Amino acid sequence: MCLGIPMKIVSIDGYNARCEAKGVSREVSLFLLQGEDINIGDHVMVHVGYAIQMMTEQEARSTWELLDEMLAAEDSDA
Amino acid sequence: MLEAKDWLARIHALPLDRPMRIMNVCGGHERSISMAGLRTALPKQVQLIAGPGCPVCVCPEEDVYQAIQLAAHAGVILVAFGDMLRVPVNVAKGELRSLEQAKAAGADVRPIASPREAVQIAQQNPERQVVFFAAGFETTMAPVAAMLIEGVPDNLSLLLSGRLTWPAVSMLLDSGEAGFHALVAPGHVATVMGPEEWSFVVEQHHMPAAVAGFTPVSLLAAMYSVLRQLIEDKRFLDNCYPELVKPEGNPVARRHLAQAFEVTDANWRGIGVIPVSGYAIAPAYAAHDARLRFPDFNDAERKRAGQMPPGCDCARVVLGRINPDQCKLYGTACTPKYPVGPCMVSDEGACRIWWSTGIRATEHA
Repeated sequence: MCLGIPMKIVSIDGYNARCEAKGVSREVSLFLLQGEDINIGDHVMVHVGYAIQMMTEQEARSTWELLDEMLAAEDSDA
Repeated sequence: MLEAKDWLARIHALPLDRPMRIMNVCGGHERSISMAGLRTALPKQVQLIAGPGCPVCVCPEEDVYQAIQLAAHAGVILVAFGDMLRVPVNVAKGELRSLEQAKAAGADVRPIASPREAVQIAQQNPERQVVFFAAGFETTMAPVAAMLIEGVPDNLSLLLSGRLTWPAVSMLLDSGEAGFHALVAPGHVATVMGPEEWSFVVEQHHMPAAVAGFTPVSLLAAMYSVLRQLIEDKRFLDNCYPELVKPEGNPVARRHLAQAFEVTDANWRGIGVIPVSGYAIAPAYAAHDARLRFPDFNDAERKRAGQMPPGCDCARVVLGRINPDQCKLYGTACTPKYPVGPCMVSDEGACRIWWSTGIRATEHA
């Protein structure tokens, strides 16, 4: 649960952002990043539906790779 | 940029002349370590211990019991993070043993992935009471605090079982039998709270500590840092996840936590009360405290109330005193399909993680 999922912001409406990662789209709250200069195309670390920090695209990529490996391992476990 | 194999080579090149035990306190760290097979890739002298990193595992048995009773007998919609649904309580045979069993028996129990879903469910069911049973560490509690502050419907209340991470480590270090020589501190807790929270490990206990992210590269960098500190007899708090962990953490999140909650002494299942280790709902939000709204659903006189299930060694697993496969029930009476203890239920439980990476029961003499 504490792992978090990096997502890319595709639209912003107040504290709500539509974000996507690997083709999956989600509503994400930006309430914990009030005061940050957040723009469409930025990457954020998302935990239980809330962005907890901004991040670079490169950092997002390395975490996505890790999540892919974990999902693959889960599948083989099932 | 250095890759995982480069960090491993650096660690193997260190003059390791004695066993060095490194504890992590985060289920995400443990999962990444186990998946990447870091235990076998590291030199024999380096031992990695899974410590208190699973909020579901230490969630008080009484809180789970209360959630089950609310779902079964108070007519509420009970929402909780999915991990909580299968956590067992100690009840007589035939009584409801988990939220999952309550759900199977007809109670309205719904797994959610975000506090926002709790708000949506309450909005969609204005005639019903909705109780959000929320267990978690700081990283999860900050979003729960944000939810309260942003405003929630009157019919939504919180059964809060939030915990702070560092006090459990402090308790272990104060016990005089910590059982580890260095700490890898949790990356997303530090993202929210700031790395400074962990400086007590270095300053008060003269123990190396490094904040790590979740990739093998970040974890290995942190391990290299603390091992080198041990060897060179230097101590400092390293930050091996600077991309996300900023000085002072996320100040907005910390402000919300301070506004919505008070920090109190709190019970950890099977472990006992740890000072200043729990979040309680602040008086300003008491109207949304499920414990005040539904005060009559906790039976403290129950047999084995508050304890781990009989024979279950989860408490010692959580504290890093034993490895999961040293529990007598591991892989025999207790498996992910038929879990006895919470450490085999939660995705962040060390037993569940070890099992999912293929470690099976060892022979018990």
